[in-house]
Amino acid sequence: MGELVKMVVVLSVICGASGFVLSNLKEYTAPLIEMQVLTYEQKPAIERIFAEMENDPVADRRRFEIPGRDMPVTVFPIMKNGKLAAVALEGFGQGYSGDVSIMVGIDPQRDALIGISPAKMQETPGIGSRIAEPKFTDQFAGARFQDARSKADGGKIDAVSGATVSSGAVFQAVSGVLANYGAIKSDILKTWKSGD
Amino acid sequence: MIRMWKEFSKGLWKELPPFRLMLGLCPTLAVTASANDGLGMGAAVIFVLTLSNVLISLVRKIIPQKVRIACYIAIAATLVVVVELLMQAFAYPLYQSLGIFVPLIVVNCIILGRAEAFAGKNPVHLALVDGLGIGIGYMISLTFLGSLREVLGKGTWFGHPVMWDGFEPFGFMVMAPGAFIALGLIVGAMNFLNMRMAKKKAQGALQEMDGCAACGGCAMATKSREL
Amino acid sequence: MNYAALFVSAIFVNNIVLAQYLGQCPYVGCSKEKGVAFGMGTAVVFVIFMATGITWLFQTYVLNPFNLGYLQTIAFILVIAALVQFVEMFLKKVIPPLYRSLGIFLPLITTNCAVLGVAVLVQRKEYDLITSLLYALFTSLGFLLALMLMSGIRERLETVRAPRAMRGTPTALIMAGIMSLAFLAFKGMIE
Repeated sequence: MGELVKMVVVLSVICGASGFVLSNLKEYTAPLIEMQVLTYEQKPAIERIFAEMENDPVADRRRFEIPGRDMPVTVFPIMKNGKLAAVALEGFGQGYSGDVSIMVGIDPQRDALIGISPAKMQETPGIGSRIAEPKFTDQFAGARFQDARSKADGGKIDAVSGATVSSGAVFQAVSGVLANYGAIKSDILKTWKSGD
Repeated sequence: MIRMWKEFSKGLWKELPPFRLMLGLCPTLAVTASANDGLGMGAAVIFVLTLSNVLISLVRKIIPQKVRIACYIAIAATLVVVVELLMQAFAYPLYQSLGIFVPLIVVNCIILGRAEAFAGKNPVHLALVDGLGIGIGYMISLTFLGSLREVLGKGTWFGHPVMWDGFEPFGFMVMAPGAFIALGLIVGAMNFLNMRMAKKKAQGALQEMDGCAACGGCAMATKSREL
Repeated sequence: MNYAALFVSAIFVNNIVLAQYLGQCPYVGCSKEKGVAFGMGTAVVFVIFMATGITWLFQTYVLNPFNLGYLQTIAFILVIAALVQFVEMFLKKVIPPLYRSLGIFLPLITTNCAVLGVAVLVQRKEYDLITSLLYALFTSLGFLLALMLMSGIRERLETVRAPRAMRGTPTALIMAGIMSLAFLAFKGMIE
């Protein structure tokens, strides 16, 4: 009996100590981890869309609330000559294995896409992963909002043949971003001064 | 002092974990496509192994025999989560390229094997040098295998080009078959060297390094749980 | 998700041992005889299937709602250790013949990285419960296949006169490399 009590006590003490250490460490590392994720996943995607920018879009990012939604939307501003040249927003679509995350660059003056670039995906190498190739993504450059969907859906973009699911994930992500952008566009333009 | 040196140095040759004891093979094969990943994995294992050895040695007298393996696993798993968090916060690219092999450090036979075979029975200072020695041996092994595969498979070392112009990399070295074959040849070479050394000293037969030593550490650790 | 594609992918294209580097210890250690290999393989199929289901439920209904995702590793390994212990006791009491054939392998499985590996992989791939269970089943069948093939080859290798330094593990590893090379050919089959 005494031994049983000892066993339970020792195990509980170890688990308690472990929980205490880990929850504190989690608190401490959470902001650092968020920053690392943004720097190594979102930032390279933004840099692939915009060749030149004078600010750090990750450091200048801002969150916007959409009325009636729980999750705020993060917007990355791209500045040129001290004025807002473009914004980048991240969108998600259900891919072949897990979520596909797509960074979408938007020109607020012309209401058109500047380009898209995948930030995170685990699609099948060689097949689904072709949604990351310029042959597919370049079609989005300069596309007007209503054209940024698949031809089957009335848009002007060719899906990647043989990778229907992965292409669908990109279209889903882009249309999600455009819907979010439409809801917060006026807030964005109030926050950063745009050109002209 | 001599004893401490002995415990430290055994991890560097005699009990070199992946090549001699056949322990911790999964990460040895999986994260050695580049020297950098091998080094990072090795560093993570040094951290977990040294601290788990020290902690286990500290509490070895109050842990009841029956639940000691559960305690070892809990301690090792806690340290692995610490490594996961720190790696995400300070070395995110490494965390991405090591993938699921970071959480899998907890089932690396080396950790539980050393806990059961050494740290659970020896005082703190010896457990510390034992963990450091085995950990450093492991890191050197992974970095060595990683360098070999990266240089032959990509023509680079730690990302820098090292081979002559016009060198055509053996792409298969950085894929799975290359990992198995390179490891097999290294283990064979180690056996050969040991046989030569044993002959020179003209003493004792070479201890056959058998595959089942692979299960040995794990088996020993888990079987004794039933007692 | 196409289950036929998942089947081919999990068993052949992304074979857990030969392409994903998991479960190496039993693959090298327990492949000397066909009987042992079959026992170990079946025990692994059984445990991976159950462990993946239970850890999936645990992640979805305990860790995620309480925002404890970072405790995944520690939670999963304790769940798996408890599960293996429980399965062992259950088999011993209820199905003794099965216990006699699988029993000695069960304690080894807690530290088999394939079990924790598959449990973590289905979380990272964000599969739903059905897909996770099927993935676990197919992947572990792939493990059984690789182990059986290997033990067949090694039984023959016993009679081969290899250089002394290369006998045993080194030859086994090189055989694994050649098998893995052969399995690479399945890559073209998916999508």
